[in-house]
Order: sequence, then structure tokens, then C-alpha cells
Amino acid sequence: MQTVVLDNLSKTYSGGKEAVKGVSLFLEKGEVFGFLGPNGAGKTTAVKLLNGMIAPTGGRCSVMGYDPAREPEKVHAVSGVLTEHARMYDHMTGLENLVFYGEIFGISREEGRKRAVSLIEKLELEEAADRKLSAYSTGMRQRLSLARAMLHNPEVLFLDEPTSGLDPESAQNVNRIIRELAEGQGVTVFLCTHQLRYAQEICTRYGLIEAGRLLAGGTLQKLREDVSPGAKLLVRADHLPERLLSEISGNVDPDVLFLRKARAGGGEHGVVLAVNIQSEEEVPGIIRKIAGAGGDIYEVSISRPSLEDIYFALTAKGKGEQA
Amino acid sequence: MNRAMYAVLRKDFRGIVSNRRLFLEMLLVPLVLTIILPSIFVAAVHFAPDDPDMAKLLGLLPQDGRTDSPEMALAGLVFNYILPVFFLMIPIMTASVMAASSFVGEKEKHTLETLLYCPLSVKQIFQAKVLASFLFSMLVSLISFIAMMAVLETEMFFVMGSPVIPAAGWLVILLLLAPSVSLIAVTLIVRGSAKAQSVEESQQGAAFLIIPVILLVAGQFAGIMLLNVWILLGLSAVCMLLAWVLLQKAVGRFNYETLLK
Repeated sequence: MQTVVLDNLSKTYSGGKEAVKGVSLFLEKGEVFGFLGPNGAGKTTAVKLLNGMIAPTGGRCSVMGYDPAREPEKVHAVSGVLTEHARMYDHMTGLENLVFYGEIFGISREEGRKRAVSLIEKLELEEAADRKLSAYSTGMRQRLSLARAMLHNPEVLFLDEPTSGLDPESAQNVNRIIRELAEGQGVTVFLCTHQLRYAQEICTRYGLIEAGRLLAGGTLQKLREDVSPGAKLLVRADHLPERLLSEISGNVDPDVLFLRKARAGGGEHGVVLAVNIQSEEEVPGIIRKIAGAGGDIYEVSISRPSLEDIYFALTAKGKGEQA
Repeated sequence: MNRAMYAVLRKDFRGIVSNRRLFLEMLLVPLVLTIILPSIFVAAVHFAPDDPDMAKLLGLLPQDGRTDSPEMALAGLVFNYILPVFFLMIPIMTASVMAASSFVGEKEKHTLETLLYCPLSVKQIFQAKVLASFLFSMLVSLISFIAMMAVLETEMFFVMGSPVIPAAGWLVILLLLAPSVSLIAVTLIVRGSAKAQSVEESQQGAAFLIIPVILLVAGQFAGIMLLNVWILLGLSAVCMLLAWVLLQKAVGRFNYETLLK
């Protein structure tokens, strides 16, 4: 079931800035979609378009079947939003804030209080629950905002930089909660971030955006296949005969595309060979070759391109095409 | 009004009361205008010398303003002609401060955006907030009037031995004129809220609303135009019409894009 749909969506602001340029993508129920790009790429504009805060200048979008430009209230009723600019009331305590927002979402005060207490516990804010928000740190505010976004059990969560300002422990906890929501309750998560490493930890599918244009989309596996196929086999070994090195580097084996020799640091034995491979099936052959030639193997691993590598490969490609 | 709108209204009330600085600032005007100023007038009337010019002045008053005692006549003049105009400043000031805090203050503190992501239409948010400012200013005005009456009648009883009777004009002011000027103040603040970046900036705009009131005060003192029931009813009708027009225009301007600028 498609929960969030962007169909050739564009937004040009009155000043002439094209923030989103013909973006098309869709989200399935229960997936954590990472909408990734640098600051100013158009991520927040997309969230605003999906929540009806601004009207598109081209294309269309929908959330749970509702058009945000026409029925923003219905979209808001089924979605929760966490953005940097959506804050809560400093003169109220954390608990009071949640109960207040619960009431606005049609939840009774008693039920709202129950849900608020449970979320406060989940987000480890028990000690601060009865403190006024003016005394909250950035991280605590962020966690409370997440609680607010989840309070009415939304079907779609829009999270703009959800771990911004959080310490590593809290960030890990937030990631766990997001994963539980998606996997356990089938909540669709539209997560915007510029932190690619963080996104790789939590997202199941990605959309990479730059200057308002969607560069690529799909699972990490698909992005790897599309943008940067292959992987790097790293072998830390010693006593490698010159014959073998020259054999590999001399392109005896046509599948070995690249050979790098580096000193292993930290008192480890041997050198690290980095060999470009196309598939895992090549690994046993290369290892056999090294072992057969009398090399001592200490460590073997495969390094695949990270989201960051893919993103930089895409942006470099884009710049190359522009040039 | 649904439950969510009621929650917004209650929160706005609580917001203004919990902001001690703003709340005291807002109470200062009613305190001066309904307690201190009337007390000064009572004292001035009581201790005024028996000036023949004063007798001449009282002779110029409309028939219904005259009484046997010149002191009581003067007190009635102050209470029924001068104080009502000063009193109008209360709904204007309270509505302006409340609306500035409710609209511009929320925008300034980025809490308005959170409210916009809730399942309330932008029109419902507008209505709840206008109603909160309006009701708050009416509540403060009513309490101020009751406090003024209590203080004034007590002072009159002890100083002059007789209470002062409020003219019918006060009823028109409380029921018609004060609500309409309060609404005008709210809508003007909302109108400027898209451009204003801070509560202070927004309140500065509201200061212009006091100018017509000052002109009325000057008119009363100079005797150019003495406020009778009919003039007050006419003024109320004009203000109500203006409030309605401004409210309609303000609703149209109140949308997501202008609010998030």
C-alpha cells in the first residue's frame, strides 16, 4: 500500500528559487524512507508540501490518499511531524504540553495523559516530565517533540533531522523507537537528514536529493548496483611472494581490476591488499591464490560502498555532466 | 467551537496569565484607569474651590446632567462623560497585548508552526485565537468596571455621602462599544502579524488605536461633543461594522504561507 506519493512534485518560491524540481517517489506502509541531501537541498520544502503548509507549483502529492493542498487537516490527523522549527510551549511542563497537543488531536485529557506518560518513559524523560520546557536542553526538547509527533498514533511520521542535538545514547534509543514503530506498528517514516551514516543505520530505502532534484532512489542494494557496482576485498596478509603480487598487479587475472598495497597500522602483521571485485564468488579464488603462494592471511573482509560513497559518486557525476 | 479550539483558547488564556511581566503590564492600564484616575477625579471634585466659573460650566450642561449639588453634578459629569472614554482604552490595550502575544508571540517562538501541523483548519486556529483575545479583553474590561464601581461608589459614599448613578451610556459602552473596539484591536494586530517579527513591534502598531480615543477625551474636556447614548450607539454601530469588515479581511490573509514566512 502506497502511503506517501510524490508525483512530479515541484515548488518554486515567489522569489524564483526552485526548491523542489519534479520529484517523483512513493513510500510503502511500514518502511523507513531516508530523504537525504545537504542543507538547502529541498528536504524541508518537501515536508512542508506533504503537509500542506505550502502549495506545489507543479505536480501533486498525497498522504494516506489525502491531498495536502486541499485537505491539510486530514493529512495532519493521520501524520506526525517533527521539524526543527516546530516547537512547544516554554511556560508549560513537558507533560502539560503533550496533554495539550493530545486534546487538539481529539484525545481526552485522561487518555492523553496516559499516552504522554508512556511516551515520556519510552523517551527517558521521566525526570523532566513535570519541569517547564524553558528548563529543557536541546536534546530533551527534541525527544519531547518526537513524543508529541507520536502521541496520536499517526500512520505516517515526518521526521526532519530527528537525532539533531541528541547524545549518542539517546540517538540510539530514538532509532530503536523509530524501528519499532515501522516494523511493529506499520508506521511509514519519512526521514529527512543530511547525516548519511545515520540514515544508513536506520532507513530501509532512500531518496538522494540535491538542489531540489532527486538524484537516485531505492534500497542500498539497488543504489549500489545502479551507482557504484562491485565491492572491495580487503586482505591483510604477510609473506606474500613478489611473484604473486606481480601476478595480480600484472593483470594476470583479468578480474582483478585494482591492487593497492598499504602498511597495516597498530602493530598488526602484514600488508592490506585491496582488490576490486564484482561479486562474492571471486573471493575464494583470490584467497586460494594467496594461500597457495605461501602468504599468511590474518584478516579478510569485504568493503561495499556506503551511502556516503554513493552520494558523493552521484554528486560528482552530476557536476561532471554539468561541466 | 470544538474541543480542540477550546483547548487552544484555554492555552492562550493560560499563556498570558503565566507570563508575569506581560500580565502585570496588562493590568497596569486598567488599574490606573479604573482605580487611580477615578480616585483622583473624586478628590479633585471634592476639594475644588467654589469657583464661579465652575458654576457657569455646570450651567452649560445638558438638563439631565444637572443636580442640586454642584459637587454631585461635577462628579456625574466626570463619571458619565470623561471616564467612559478613558475606559475604552482597557479593551483596546488588553486585546492588543493578548493578540500580539497569541499571534506574533507564537510565531516568534515557533510554536505556531506546531499548531499548524495539528488537525485544525487554519480558520479554526484563527477563530480560537481571536476569540481568546476578545474574551480575555472583555473579561478584564468587566472586572475593571466592577472594580471601578466598587471603589468609586465607596469613595463617593464616604467623601460626598451619596453614590453616583451610572448613565445608560455605560451600558452601551460595556455591551456594544467595548466589544467592537476590542475586535478592531485584535484584527489589526492579526493583520500586522504577518509582517511583525516581534511582540513589541506588533504592539507598537496597536498604539495608533489609542489616537481616536485621545481625540474623544479631548472632545469631552473641550466640550466639543458630549457623549450621550445616541452618539455612543452611533459610534458602536460604526465600530461594529468596521470590526466585521476587518475580521473578514483578516481571515482571508490568515493562511499557512503568510504565517510561516
